[in-house]
Amino acid sequence: MLNYLIRRTLLMIPTLLGITLVVFVVMAAAPGGITAQSLVDGMELEPESRRALEEYYNKLYGLDQPAPVQYLRWLNNISPIGFEREPDGTLGTFSLWKGADLGTSFRYGRPVMDLLAERLPITLLLNLISIPLIYAIAISIGVQAARQRGGRFDVASNIFLLGLWSVPSMLAGVLFIGFFASEQYWRWFPTGGLMQRETVDQTFLPLFASGSDLLIAVACVVTVTVLLIAAATSAPKIARQCGGFTIGALLGYAMAWDLGGQWLGGLHVLLAASLGLLTSLLAGMQHPGFRIALAGAVGLGGGLTLSRYLGVEVMQGGYLLDRLWHLILPIIALSYGGLAFLAKLTRSSLLENLAADYARTARAKGVDEETVLWRHVFRNSLLPLITVSATLLPSLLAGSVIVESIFSIDGMGKLAVEAVQTRDRELVLSVTLISGLLTLFGYLLADIAYAIVDPRVSYD
Amino acid sequence: MKNGNMGISRIAFWLGIGALGLLMLLLMVQIDRQWTRMNDITRLMQEQAQDIRSTRGVLRNLEQTVRTARFNTSEVDGRLSDTADRTDAFERARLATQQANYAQGDWLMLAFGSGLTTLTPLVSGDAYSSEVQQYVLESLLVRDPDTLEWSGLLAEDWQISDDGLTINFTLRRDISFSDGIAMTAKDVQFTFEFIMNEAIAAPRSRAYLSRIERVTALDNYHVEFVFKEPYFNSLQLAGGLTILPEHFYKRFLDEPRTFNESRGLLLGSGPYRLKDPENWTPDQGRVELERNPRYWGPVDGSFDRIVWRIIENDSARLTTFRNGDIDVYGARPREYQRLLDDPGISERSKHFEYMSPTAGYSFIAWNQQRGGKNSLFSDTRVRMAMSLLTDVERMLEEIFLGYGQPAVSPFMPGSSQHNPENQPFPRDMEKAKRLLAEAGFIDRNGDGILQAEDGTNFEFELTFFQDNDDTRRMVLFLRDLYARAGILMKPKPTEWSVMVEDLRQKNFDAITLGWTSGIEIDIYQMFHSSQSMENGDNFINYRNPELDATIDAARGEVDEEKRMKLWHKAERILVEDQPYTFLFRRNTLAFVDDRISNLEKTGLGLNLMSVPVEIYVPADRQRNR
Repeated sequence: MLNYLIRRTLLMIPTLLGITLVVFVVMAAAPGGITAQSLVDGMELEPESRRALEEYYNKLYGLDQPAPVQYLRWLNNISPIGFEREPDGTLGTFSLWKGADLGTSFRYGRPVMDLLAERLPITLLLNLISIPLIYAIAISIGVQAARQRGGRFDVASNIFLLGLWSVPSMLAGVLFIGFFASEQYWRWFPTGGLMQRETVDQTFLPLFASGSDLLIAVACVVTVTVLLIAAATSAPKIARQCGGFTIGALLGYAMAWDLGGQWLGGLHVLLAASLGLLTSLLAGMQHPGFRIALAGAVGLGGGLTLSRYLGVEVMQGGYLLDRLWHLILPIIALSYGGLAFLAKLTRSSLLENLAADYARTARAKGVDEETVLWRHVFRNSLLPLITVSATLLPSLLAGSVIVESIFSIDGMGKLAVEAVQTRDRELVLSVTLISGLLTLFGYLLADIAYAIVDPRVSYD
Repeated sequence: MKNGNMGISRIAFWLGIGALGLLMLLLMVQIDRQWTRMNDITRLMQEQAQDIRSTRGVLRNLEQTVRTARFNTSEVDGRLSDTADRTDAFERARLATQQANYAQGDWLMLAFGSGLTTLTPLVSGDAYSSEVQQYVLESLLVRDPDTLEWSGLLAEDWQISDDGLTINFTLRRDISFSDGIAMTAKDVQFTFEFIMNEAIAAPRSRAYLSRIERVTALDNYHVEFVFKEPYFNSLQLAGGLTILPEHFYKRFLDEPRTFNESRGLLLGSGPYRLKDPENWTPDQGRVELERNPRYWGPVDGSFDRIVWRIIENDSARLTTFRNGDIDVYGARPREYQRLLDDPGISERSKHFEYMSPTAGYSFIAWNQQRGGKNSLFSDTRVRMAMSLLTDVERMLEEIFLGYGQPAVSPFMPGSSQHNPENQPFPRDMEKAKRLLAEAGFIDRNGDGILQAEDGTNFEFELTFFQDNDDTRRMVLFLRDLYARAGILMKPKPTEWSVMVEDLRQKNFDAITLGWTSGIEIDIYQMFHSSQSMENGDNFINYRNPELDATIDAARGEVDEEKRMKLWHKAERILVEDQPYTFLFRRNTLAFVDDRISNLEKTGLGLNLMSVPVEIYVPADRQRNR
């Protein structure tokens, strides 16, 4: 195993070299190439100052040298062993521990390392929330659909997920902002950014006017949630559906009322009916886990609203809630596409294994269906999910270009796109180098995970 | 599954432990935030203690003076009479404060369409950062928005020597930077020396200021600028220099790298300041200035804070404006037209169309020499004909919906550089055809296309920047116009970096671009024949000895009246010779939130961003923040 690991790690080096070489050649061969002139962008510039700027760039980045020399210089910079670089751009003595340097971004004029360190936490925050969410929901939907193959849930979720999969996230993002963040429709969420300016001066946790208010709020939330969950788990199906319809219809009516301020109209009926139908369908689902999750979410919201009506006063929303509030729309936009894909993947791989000989044997021996599913089939069905997870690590870093730019979030994705657009070579090369490294590392991890999940796989 | 109850209780136990841990973590963060807040307060208190100490010093001196009854009356009188005849830069702001509903307070919320890289002066080059800096840094002189004349800001008086080589500024005595340290003439001298230091990444400013030989502080309140050669714009060069505090920036001469790579080193004497002048970073996603509590000027800024958010997506920016979260929204012509009819927008905003003097003009440049050979356009008659064919009025009307005005020359209408006698070129197809026929271009084979004497078709490529929709539409429109006169024009959409390369090698037939403009601008780089070398900005190989002589004379002329005559002459030559076909100057179109009062169009555009701040929010419309 160790032997294998070392071999794989060493193999990464030529691959990475190849990646950077390709990127470098593509950038150098692009029409116009990378010259000092192309760095000075902007249509309208005072002529004299532009020239001065160009000379400065040539001196700083050695852009007037031939491309192969530039590539070798860059390689020397990033490798921890090599020639030291003098401040005036010439090469110094050979050193074994000069340390890697990713260079300076053309556009920002700052070390690439700093830029990455600034943007990485933001992208990590987005992804660390959305990826577990995607996996949890996708696996539960996939398992449920596979169990009721051809049933109502399977067909409905199939259609729904296919629909989700086909909506491009740029459209969804803009629609979210247009409908759920705009004064014209429902202004429930902020239009972008990661925080409201005002919350900087506020406390971290929400601040209630008094201790009793806090107690009332907690009591409301707990009661409503517990009641709803109890109803969702134990009530008969027909009662759940009726209850679900009532709640949905009420919500739909409230939404329409919020929009127009009228008491009744076409929109009221439409929204109430469609939301009512949706919730009644959801409430009628077989799987108790879904129902509990749903009831919990509705209970939380309902409890908070109730406590608001009981006169609980929140003096400051606080930093934490504000951050969460800003994250909701971007995370939905970021996760729904992957959700659909993963759920379908889980479903098909489970179905394949449920029909396999070992599952049939287990059933024949009298093992109950639950145990067959979770003990035998589920673990074997994880293999394709592991394959997919190998690509997760780089996507963690690369972030989502579209979502980040629509919601004005300064993450890695936005940085990478800006870098390509402005031909910021050092930055593009560093981003590709790091995401290449992470991709290779991700595949390695996936291979190790195979060995752990599937005892048949061995690398010795 | 058999021990179901035990499983559930165990889960509940771990859930409880987890929740407790999470709560502890959240509380820790909360306490951490309290610490940062405490640090802020401590810093504020230290600053105030410092202020009190200095006030005590001033009072003691005053007491001494009163006791000994030794007043220095002569000097004071002299100064007062001096300031009386120069207009004060704060006149308009003072008028604003006298309005009935004037109130201080509220925040001005703005948005940028793309991220800022740095706020550090000199290192930053984009328009966004200079928008922020103008609230923080101040210059010796500013243009009066009404008369467009210079008026003193940090300087209360100035004298220009007869040869135009020396300018002497007298500084105001009561100026302090936003950290409480007084500004003196030494700071002015330092600013110049700082910019001229090769280690500082300010090639742009350095090139601009290279005409100044030296800046010397004569004493604490007098500073002398000496120029290498007479230069017409010397007062702008010297007076427009924004003054950096020596005590803050001096240490970066020893560590220029820190300065060059810094993101937010911004401290000045202006009405607003960064809360922390050293540690702003772009990843905060916004820029925030607070009112400078120690502002020296007679009128404070009206807003408590000015906040810029960064919203790149256009529709998100519009929605944010709709929601009232930002106060200003700049629109393109078509969008502007559409939004004018939008009740949600017009209900809560005022709209403005104005022309900013720095907005610049667009043009089509005709290359006169390509690959060493004279091109089609080396003949003045052909260039005239092209200008006659270019229907600027209609393009403005159809593509930019009339939000702009035709450009006559590089000089701004309304500035004294421009001579009103020079009119935009009319559209005249017949005259154009006549001129082309004179130049030898006639349809010789009856296919509707003009041919030269040797039978080659009159055809050329028009290079343009590909990523601008308006430009693309304009070029397609031009193609139709020229086709009607029998000229084949091939549009050539080009990426910016390719375009730069083409310009450098002068490898194009015709190109459409824009230059920035100003109240008095130099045209040496674009039209003087000495600038047609490789990499020069006379990229059309235009050579006109008469114009060269006029430009040289004008640049060296210090006397304003004589100089304007020379500029008028240069303008006439440009109009008659048409090296460029001048297209138009476009309006800036903006919606501004209704609660902002005292908005007004001035000679410098809209006074929305003018400093000293003239706009405010009346008390009854302020939002509590």
